[in-house]
Amino acid sequence: MRLTVNGTEHEVDVEPDMPLLWVLRDELNITGPKYGCGIAQCGACTVHVDGFAVRSCQLAIGDLQGDVTTIEGLGTPDNLHAVQEAWIEQQVAQCGYCQSGQIMQAADLLAANPTPSDEDIDAVMGGNLCRCGTYPRIRAAVHAAATKLQGA
Amino acid sequence: MASLGKIARRTFLIGSAAIAGGVAFGVYAARQPFPNPNLDDLSEGSASFNPWVIVDNERVTLIAPHADKGQGVFSTQAALIAEELDIELDQVEVSFGMPDQAYFNTAITEAAAGFPMYDHSPTAERVRGFLGGVAKLAIPMMATGGSSAMPDVYTKLREAGATARETLKLAASEESGVPVADLRTERGAVILPDGTELPYTALAARAATLAPVTDVALRDPSQWRMLGQPMDRIDIVQKSTGTLPYGIDFRTDDMRFATVKVNPRQGGAMNGYDASAAEAMPGVERIIEITGGVAVVANNTWRAIQAANAIEFDWGAAPYPADQAAHWEHLAGIFDDEHLNAEARVEGDVEAAAGEEITGEYRSPYIAHAPLEPLNATILVTEDRVDIWTGHQVQQFVEQVVAEITGHEVDNVHLHNQFMGGSFGHRLEFDFIRQAAEIAHQMRGTPVQMTYSREEDFVHDFPRHITMGRGVAKVLDGQVNALDVQIAGQSVMRSQMGRMGLSLPGPDTQLHEGAWDAPMFNLPNFRVRSYLTEALAPVSSWRAVGAGPNVFIFESLLDEAIHAAGADPLEERIRLMGHDVSVGVLEAVGDMCSWNGANIGEGRGRGVAYGFSFGVAVATVVEVTNTDGGIKLDHVWVAADVGRVLDPVNLENLAQGGTVFGLGHAINCEITYADGMAEQTNYHAHEGMRIWQCPPIEFRALENNPKIRGFGEPPIPPSAPALGNAIFAATGQRIREMPFNKHIAFV
Amino acid sequence: MKYRLLAATIVIAASPLLAEVDLTPPESASEAEGLEAWARIYEVASHPRCSNCHTGESDHPMWSGPSYGQARPHGMNIRAGESRMGVEYIPCQACHTTMSEDWENANAMPHTAPRVPMFWQLAPVEADWFGRSSIEICEQLRDPELNGGRDTMALAEHLDHDLILHWAWNPGGNREPAPYSLQEHVDDILIWGVAGMPCPES
Repeated sequence: MRLTVNGTEHEVDVEPDMPLLWVLRDELNITGPKYGCGIAQCGACTVHVDGFAVRSCQLAIGDLQGDVTTIEGLGTPDNLHAVQEAWIEQQVAQCGYCQSGQIMQAADLLAANPTPSDEDIDAVMGGNLCRCGTYPRIRAAVHAAATKLQGA
Repeated sequence: MASLGKIARRTFLIGSAAIAGGVAFGVYAARQPFPNPNLDDLSEGSASFNPWVIVDNERVTLIAPHADKGQGVFSTQAALIAEELDIELDQVEVSFGMPDQAYFNTAITEAAAGFPMYDHSPTAERVRGFLGGVAKLAIPMMATGGSSAMPDVYTKLREAGATARETLKLAASEESGVPVADLRTERGAVILPDGTELPYTALAARAATLAPVTDVALRDPSQWRMLGQPMDRIDIVQKSTGTLPYGIDFRTDDMRFATVKVNPRQGGAMNGYDASAAEAMPGVERIIEITGGVAVVANNTWRAIQAANAIEFDWGAAPYPADQAAHWEHLAGIFDDEHLNAEARVEGDVEAAAGEEITGEYRSPYIAHAPLEPLNATILVTEDRVDIWTGHQVQQFVEQVVAEITGHEVDNVHLHNQFMGGSFGHRLEFDFIRQAAEIAHQMRGTPVQMTYSREEDFVHDFPRHITMGRGVAKVLDGQVNALDVQIAGQSVMRSQMGRMGLSLPGPDTQLHEGAWDAPMFNLPNFRVRSYLTEALAPVSSWRAVGAGPNVFIFESLLDEAIHAAGADPLEERIRLMGHDVSVGVLEAVGDMCSWNGANIGEGRGRGVAYGFSFGVAVATVVEVTNTDGGIKLDHVWVAADVGRVLDPVNLENLAQGGTVFGLGHAINCEITYADGMAEQTNYHAHEGMRIWQCPPIEFRALENNPKIRGFGEPPIPPSAPALGNAIFAATGQRIREMPFNKHIAFV
Repeated sequence: MKYRLLAATIVIAASPLLAEVDLTPPESASEAEGLEAWARIYEVASHPRCSNCHTGESDHPMWSGPSYGQARPHGMNIRAGESRMGVEYIPCQACHTTMSEDWENANAMPHTAPRVPMFWQLAPVEADWFGRSSIEICEQLRDPELNGGRDTMALAEHLDHDLILHWAWNPGGNREPAPYSLQEHVDDILIWGVAGMPCPES
């Protein structure tokens, strides 16, 4: 089975019903997307498929149609995405385990809606669970990232 | 803040550091009874004086031994050293180091001293000092818990930094011939009067030959460069780019992935199992019997979990009541002398006190820890040694537990502590370590990563203990005249320590923590009694431990009494309080929200609550509206006094996050048992707060507490009663049981 | 609110799953038989597997039924928006991914987001069934203004083709399936149609 992740093509030998998350983590050692719940309740596994946020724990590799971008492909420490810059400036993370998914979902939100209201943020980010409770900072970071992208 | 580019270039030294020639410093050299663990890694001819600072010819490495579960101590420990060492955080490498008794926690026994933590009298301090000494000699425990990291390291890490700085200056003086008094230090270098910079790394070899300068004076906080100012957490870039490896992300060559299933009736037997279907599933390599269950070893975690789900088990009965109702019935029956844990506080005479009586019974349920990173551990067992990669709060015990299973000398068992995707107390437990060790022991030579499925993480959690409170309050002449509080619950400490093979003599102070030590010195009649049982489901420390349930019980009863008295909830609390630090946080929170009573209009209300835990006074005000769709949280204000603020941004984050944690669980989380098993198996049934329920949370930090305190847990206890009290103000409905959504709808 | 083109995701995955439903109507059916058929149809329409996504003006799907306890809006503050597919917020498909083959255990795991071989979505606003009475839903279903301009044969064909509906009888996990079977439900629709779409009076 072939898939493209962060611009690199990979060949994997797995059952077609293996979730994309586990292909990424345990077959390709791409560990930015996290396992949190396995049932689309926490959002920690969120990646983009052709630019759209998808819970990779729910997407069977056999059903993957499109290129995958993980948090590692969104931006890097040396070349940060605007959302990541905002996340750093707002010092959002505590344990940080959910933040890969939060950032991927926020990037998708801002691609669809460049100037989201708090209500929009609450509707789109409602599926991303943060056990540490960094929500006030996530909201602030989404607004800050929106401003950065508007200015870009 | 440092520029993004600089932050991005930072790298961490995780796990053991291979130091080639160097020097380590620390003031504890003189009075430190334990050998310096860094000596083992230094090459011949090098010197090392202490556990926290290592300088070689290439880099400065700071050891930050306290575990980081998200609270940010990795950064703050490094900043404490760097402040005195005169080096910037982007110039150093920071490591958790390797577990060693040299890093034993001097503050963790403080809460067990039997004195309220606001009591700074000579007697209380003598007992604390004595207990700390006993602990040092008996079990010099390296541990992160009880919000004790900052009290533990506040002085010793700054001293370690100052010692290193002064010794490097001495080395520079010898090299240059310039008197020490004419040298200064800045950005990781000693600077000569002519401006010449001698980097610390260039001075390492000579410094290694010197005895460390231990007679150092710490700088006054007014001189601090970075402490007390907003700092970038040193893990923030990695955590924002998916590049920080947690324990679950550890990868090495030829590793296998495993998962386990043990009896969901905690502690019950495994009578039998049929793994024939699982054995035939793709990628499955071994099915291994472990204590109380079965492990599947595969070449992919998902395949291991799928196969484990395909095993048919015959599980034995639970060694505790099978159904939840029986747990509550049991608690209701232990308010008697036979089960008395302690008469923890007696002031005046609550029974003879005059006044109108208000009574209430309160319930706090079992709750799961459920950190977002499921419990996991990677272990490699070879003939000579064992290596463990996991995140844990009691590091040396991990090595001991594994050594007992593999048969190695404990000196040959090495824990590489990892960043944790949360813990909330779950990573104080050892079952997952033992299970991973049993697997790796049978897979010698192959590294195996054992990961719980989220479902296993829930059903095999040791949740927060259930608690039942009964209170009688008396109000007289518009004031609260008496509070008589009885708390029945399980002993968290006995349950938890029992699994570690330790016994707890005497009463469990956590059973009345947060109630007995409420510093309401102006309350003339005040009694707190607690009752203990060990007959229910096994439980563990859940963030804030006893103070979580107890502050809910205490502050709810108090609020009922204040309303019955017709007094103002904030004013009456301030009147009852004879403790300046606590009055300070109550006045601060009132100022922040422009408090003008609990009733703020039709269908709206405010609730205030105060909590004292881990030595920190916290006051919280919650504002709600009763809408057609249910209760909506509009705004929260929190004021707290930690004595000394080291990182105001991180502290605010912890205040907000702790409040979210307290509110979310109070609203919608409980673990209930049916047929001996936890009924909630994933976040759909135990979700805590989500972003759309999260109100704006404002925070103010005060610095009047005479001692520095940790803040990982204290924001939690007052949040639940503040919400319950706000709901009462908005609706007239008094909710005496968590989770609140059993009694009222939320938006 | 800007919509992005959903070109990539809106394409229904090629599916081998078109069910073999017999669409032959009965030659005749009395009004009494039609009302009996309607009573069964209502059992299906009001069942949580169907009504949870027929929420009318509200763009919040519902969570109700035996496996959920008290009825409540879909968790996570999920909103389907005007698109009824969530594209204004978070597409249903972010979690309810499509499955292009009939993986035997596609929905076996309890509490996962169900997957079907098409784009998950809410029913149109006018098909507002959640919490409604038998009479109300019956009146809606026979009104071409409210049923998408369909006669009973078209309704039956819709049941055949709209694969999200098939899931109701095979929901997986620990979810309770809709009553009867897909074929029985189609048969009832056809009986009801031949009987003249009678609706109960009380």
